[in-house]
Amino acid sequence: MMIGLVGLFIKLSLFSLIAFGGVNALLPTLYDISVNQEGWIDPQTFIHYFAIAQAAPGPNLLTVTLIGWNAFGLAGAVLATLAVCWPSCILIFYLQRVIAKLRHLQWKKTIEYSASALAVGLVLASAWQIAIRINGNWMAYALTVFSILFVLLSKRHPLYLIGLGAILGFFGLI
Amino acid sequence: MQRSPAHLFITFTLIGLSGFGGVLPWARRTLVEQKQWLTSQEFNALLGVCQLVPGPNIVNLAVCVGERFGGVRGAFAAVGGLMLAPMTIVILLALLYDHYGEFERVQGILRGISSVGVGLIAATGFKMLKDELDYPPMLAVIAISIVIATIYQLALGWVVAITLPLALAVAWRKAR
Repeated sequence: MMIGLVGLFIKLSLFSLIAFGGVNALLPTLYDISVNQEGWIDPQTFIHYFAIAQAAPGPNLLTVTLIGWNAFGLAGAVLATLAVCWPSCILIFYLQRVIAKLRHLQWKKTIEYSASALAVGLVLASAWQIAIRINGNWMAYALTVFSILFVLLSKRHPLYLIGLGAILGFFGLI
Repeated sequence: MQRSPAHLFITFTLIGLSGFGGVLPWARRTLVEQKQWLTSQEFNALLGVCQLVPGPNIVNLAVCVGERFGGVRGAFAAVGGLMLAPMTIVILLALLYDHYGEFERVQGILRGISSVGVGLIAATGFKMLKDELDYPPMLAVIAISIVIATIYQLALGWVVAITLPLALAVAWRKAR
């Protein structure tokens, strides 16, 4: 148990260090580590836990929390979450300070402009990739497109959309 | 302007709890549109820096915003607020799933919510895209990064490695 927990912590810390673009961007790698290499979870439970983490409020990295939960209970859930968070927390903390202290204005702006353009590209690309992964029929795609338009064109709270998705899914349409 | 750790903790708890299908859209909504701690451009720049570092971007964002408004303690408070309540809820859901996960209707609900969630992420991307319209050459960089990631399916580390030099070159001209 103790050795298992240490292994979980180390493996997921290393995973975090290569997870450019976030946890969902490297979902296949996470699957490979936890299902094939370590046997922390079986394939079907992995997919269902992924759906729960998507549906529940909170960050998408909760998939990792649930993998830890499945393998080692509460201690596993907490350690898995910490493992996936701490490397980037330390990196970003110092990186942000360095950028804030940059005196050369054009350099500072250059870094910010390029990082922000990259962010737009990565967010749109990752939305595209996740959509392909989770949307099973044309109704699902229509719901995704409708959600985009709803958010862009309406001032209403997006929680209405969550309700709509739940209802359509309940009646087996998605 | 500074905020107390308690204030940051509560703000990020609320962001985490409303973040169905990804927290990013709700972080933007709260920090930019409602509380107006950050302008739209500041949010994009901060998120961009967060995307340069591996790991969960939303946690990186909490560290950055927490640090900016409350120092080291603020960063801890923001990350703690973001994670604590959602972790508790998702573990409770996992317990429920053990009992009811086999039902087709439960799985249908989960699928429906996921399809909406991905739409919310995409909509955030389009909102961020609006801020880039004032300098069209940058749109080419964005388009290239999307094509590399989706059509050629390269890992995001590669996408960053290939697009970053181009983005820096265009940004250098934009900053002049």
